[in-house]
Amino acid sequence: MPVAAPGPWAAGNKPVKEEFFMADYKDYGLREPNPDFERIRKTVHHQEPDRVPLLESLVEYPVQSRFLGREVKSDDIKSQVEFYYQAGYDTVPVTVSAMAFGKVDDSSPISRVIRDKMLKDESEKEDMTKWSLEYRSFINDREDFETFPWEELEKPEILKPLYDVKDYLPEGMKVVANSGKIFTLTWMLMGFNNFATKLIMDEQLVSDVFGKVAEIQLNMLDKIFELPYVGVVWLVDDLAFGNGPIISPAHYRKFVFPWYKKIAEKCHENNVLVFQHSDGDLTVLMEDIVDIGTDLLHPIDPTCMSMKTVKQKWGDRLAFAGNVANELLRSATPEEIDARVKYLMETMGPGGGYCLAAGNSVTEWGKFENYIAMLKAAEKYGNYPMK
Amino acid sequence: MYENLEDIKNAIIGGKHDQIEDLVKKAIDAGADLEELINDGMVAAMDVVGEKYSKNEIYVPEMLVSAVTMKKGLDLVNPLLQADAKESKGTIIMCTVKGDIHDIGKNLVIMMLQGAGFDVIDLGVDLSAEKVVEEVKRTKPNILGMSALLTTTMPEIKTVIDELKEQGIRDSVKIMVGGAPVNQEWADKIGADGYGADAGQAVDLARRLVAA
Repeated sequence: MPVAAPGPWAAGNKPVKEEFFMADYKDYGLREPNPDFERIRKTVHHQEPDRVPLLESLVEYPVQSRFLGREVKSDDIKSQVEFYYQAGYDTVPVTVSAMAFGKVDDSSPISRVIRDKMLKDESEKEDMTKWSLEYRSFINDREDFETFPWEELEKPEILKPLYDVKDYLPEGMKVVANSGKIFTLTWMLMGFNNFATKLIMDEQLVSDVFGKVAEIQLNMLDKIFELPYVGVVWLVDDLAFGNGPIISPAHYRKFVFPWYKKIAEKCHENNVLVFQHSDGDLTVLMEDIVDIGTDLLHPIDPTCMSMKTVKQKWGDRLAFAGNVANELLRSATPEEIDARVKYLMETMGPGGGYCLAAGNSVTEWGKFENYIAMLKAAEKYGNYPMK
Repeated sequence: MYENLEDIKNAIIGGKHDQIEDLVKKAIDAGADLEELINDGMVAAMDVVGEKYSKNEIYVPEMLVSAVTMKKGLDLVNPLLQADAKESKGTIIMCTVKGDIHDIGKNLVIMMLQGAGFDVIDLGVDLSAEKVVEEVKRTKPNILGMSALLTTTMPEIKTVIDELKEQGIRDSVKIMVGGAPVNQEWADKIGADGYGADAGQAVDLARRLVAA
């Protein structure tokens, strides 16, 4: 671990002062970075590259800040690239969607649209519960659907991080475009209970909202495909609770999966891989996920699914990334993290088709030392050919 | 027993929200016993709905539409009941604990508990231990239900239990817990009275706790 400069850290991962030292891979005993996106491509095509790749859709900014030794913010794409490079990743995730991965906060474009275009009372703009989709819904009926400022979700500013990142990408590194929040954005816009009841009581309205959100995502893809440094489109969309799908498989097949299939087809036509993230128990949806054309599924929720089982049943048709549980990263010892990574590499690594990742994302409430232990264990156990 | 009670029950189970009012009006006009209508028709229907949900035979939308259907029927019956005949199965306070704003699960549980005849006070999300204890003292519920979605907010559930003990009122209320990272083992460890894995199980648990 790097020797801490005097006073940059209070307890936990949050930096306190502006002037920091700059850490790199050497300070953590990691290998020299040599990103190579072809590692990921070989992996999802069930070939063995030189090592099992690391892959995350999100490492929270406080963790990135702790690693680099300086504050990394959501709009600091240069530092984000620096982090993923130093930590040993082959890709850097960039959100190209109205909603970012994780909680809906003021960094999500949808929040700015709502706050700037929809709030009538100026004082409401200061109150997060008035503009964040975590607290409030905006499409309750047909009239709301017709008057919602949909065009604002296609403004060029949403793509800005994707254009900016080009200046900082090292050789061999490609971008993962986090996109495709069709299901989640639809129910958050409508409010969950309203969405769920209207799925049955006003099917046409729900279908229209799904269609509008999907259309926006698909339009975004056309711009994404113009950029040769984008290697992956990652659909980040939770479809299940711990006990199974949120809505019935039949409803998914009618309203959601046709859009995913269209996205996957477009990606493959443009030589871009398509990954899918969902928490929860996806067992009854797995054949659909294969049928959609998904290249890789993440994270195989460790609270309710087994990596070994998914490999046995679907490992010839899907690649997987996961699943060092977030609870482990929070409460285990580095030795326990090492053991978990060893198990994952031995179980999932042979034959390719596997990337190492956390059980959801790398969060600030996990222990930083455990995250580093995960990276180091990847270097120790993830090399091909495997014994 | 009202001869067409099964029709009302099946309408709720099947989410036939456009048929329920006619069916219930027919029952009322036929002089059906109102408490039997509620308990053996409507509440019993929601028990079936809860069981189907636990078995993944139906999903959240179907469960919610059944609840909407039941409420439509209940809204016709309730005004006809004498105030003292409206029997509540018990009072339950529900909340998510401090730091946790995810409430989909909590809201589903509340809906099922109300369908089962409980009076439910929804305190909302992100409740501090102090606020929860204050409400328990003020309302004197039969049950306090708490949930957490994140492993980092789970410990707050124990904080509430400890605070209730500190204030000498732990034994005045039964505590049930739930949420994605929660399980029976952890619930036992922190001194909760019960754990429910989903909204259907929460109703069974609430009934057992009130009867205990």
